[in-house]
Amino acid sequence: MRPAALLFAALFIAGAVAHPAAYLQFSADGNGQAKALRWTTSPIRWYASNHGADGVTATQFQAAVGRAFDTWQAIPTAMVGFTFAGFTSAAPFDEDGQSVLGFAEEPDMDRVLGATTFVMDAVTGELIESDIFFNAIFPWSTSEAGAAGRFDLQSVATHEIGHFVGLGHSALGETELRPSGGRRVIASGAVMFPVAFGAGITADRVLQPDDIAGVSDLYPEAGFHQKSGSLSGRVLLNGRPVFGAHVIAFDLQTNELVAGFTLNAQGEFVISGLKPGPHVIRVEPLDDADLESFFDASQAVDINFTPVFYPRIVAVPAGGGAPRFDVTVTSK
Amino acid sequence: MNRLRGLLAIALLGVPHLALAQDTGFMHRLEVSAGGGYFTGTSFGNASATLRANGQAQPYALFTTESALTGSLAGDFTLGARINRRWSVDGHFLYSRPSLETSVRDDAEGAAAITVVERIDQFLIDAGVLFRIDEMRIKRLTPYAAGGAGYLRQLHEGYALIDQGHLYHLGGGVTRDLVMRTHGIVRAAGLRADARMYFLAGGVVNDRTARHGSFTASLFVRF
Repeated sequence: MRPAALLFAALFIAGAVAHPAAYLQFSADGNGQAKALRWTTSPIRWYASNHGADGVTATQFQAAVGRAFDTWQAIPTAMVGFTFAGFTSAAPFDEDGQSVLGFAEEPDMDRVLGATTFVMDAVTGELIESDIFFNAIFPWSTSEAGAAGRFDLQSVATHEIGHFVGLGHSALGETELRPSGGRRVIASGAVMFPVAFGAGITADRVLQPDDIAGVSDLYPEAGFHQKSGSLSGRVLLNGRPVFGAHVIAFDLQTNELVAGFTLNAQGEFVISGLKPGPHVIRVEPLDDADLESFFDASQAVDINFTPVFYPRIVAVPAGGGAPRFDVTVTSK
Repeated sequence: MNRLRGLLAIALLGVPHLALAQDTGFMHRLEVSAGGGYFTGTSFGNASATLRANGQAQPYALFTTESALTGSLAGDFTLGARINRRWSVDGHFLYSRPSLETSVRDDAEGAAAITVVERIDQFLIDAGVLFRIDEMRIKRLTPYAAGGAGYLRQLHEGYALIDQGHLYHLGGGVTRDLVMRTHGIVRAAGLRADARMYFLAGGVVNDRTARHGSFTASLFVRF
């Protein structure tokens, strides 16, 4: 298998529980209540490691990662800011109070391009430190046009910075299994999709509506929640709730896709940050990436049902939620 | 209600009418009409829910949709004021309840094709001018041309979402005087048939302009 998988940072969040409104958003169990992980200060200071990698100097690394931060910072509906604090000799994953991004050689993680870790307040969900490492066992590029056979650092950094701010993985994508193991992306609708496109491709430098809705919901610009809306409901299979169903909302006016999951024992989902307008709802099993990319391995995700469309158009209002609805799915 | 309507019709028909209205020289300024008819639907065309395809310029279609606003019965009300023999200004209200229907098909993972629907409460409020074409008058049938502009309001099912827009219309029709009087509050009554082409901008279709037709018949009373 070619190294195309991005490690999901939830692996590093012991005891994390699902936040009821999510794209996915990371969350912490604050005294029995799910709290979204988020930074409470802005701009967020980040350091670049002063170690480069094959084909990428520390300066090139800092510039590419800086462009990725700029991409998230430029979203008009979100208020999240970053500032480069300088180069450091500290390594990513050191708990040192500094958010460090840099290369590290991790030959054991031969399918992981990069990963993000957090230090957080487990009660409030406040992020205190977040580090990102890029696996130096792979060939990297910071070329503007991308380079054949090399992974685009800016694209992967854009994905990891999504984790850095508190977003989990999106399931908006289609994959196929490789004969040699692992998955190949056929198509992706979000930078936060857990499987990367592949070497030489720079597509993930550009955020998609699902990414933008997620970060805007976490760090809303003033008035965002008044201008956007949400939809919510349950997914049921033979009358019982389904955990981990992927719920996709298609905006009939903008043709944008934003998605969420059923995230509790009641099979409930909430998708926030939607543009007001009529939406088509599609529910599918979570079968295009490893389940561990989205949920804790101990959580029983039901994928034994067929994709289905909800038979009514759902009108999402501005500043509120559409009436709740149930989607019934059938077993495969 | 039905009884009231019956009494009104009897009262109007019982009033002696004048044979040649245009020769009497009197002109009453206010006219109200109420009736109903049909507001046609329109297709909004196809759209695809797409993902970025790996290594291909063409996006990957997760599924495709085809949306339309269906035709529906409509009720309308007009308040007009005559400026002179040929020209009037009209304020017009039309209500209809079409459905927004979206056919979903070609799902990449085999979800069954389906038509998803939503009921819309649609209000058209407009103002315009009406020009009587006396040269084409046939007995008591007076043709007219009309045009105007106004406001579109569409309430989605559950009334949580309101889409707004604006509209233009062009059309025409005929009026037929049934009764006319030279005295009293009610000076005339008759029938009106109206056909219009509407251009709706905004609303459910957002940044596109949709064409609709309306065909209505109404009873008018002139004061």
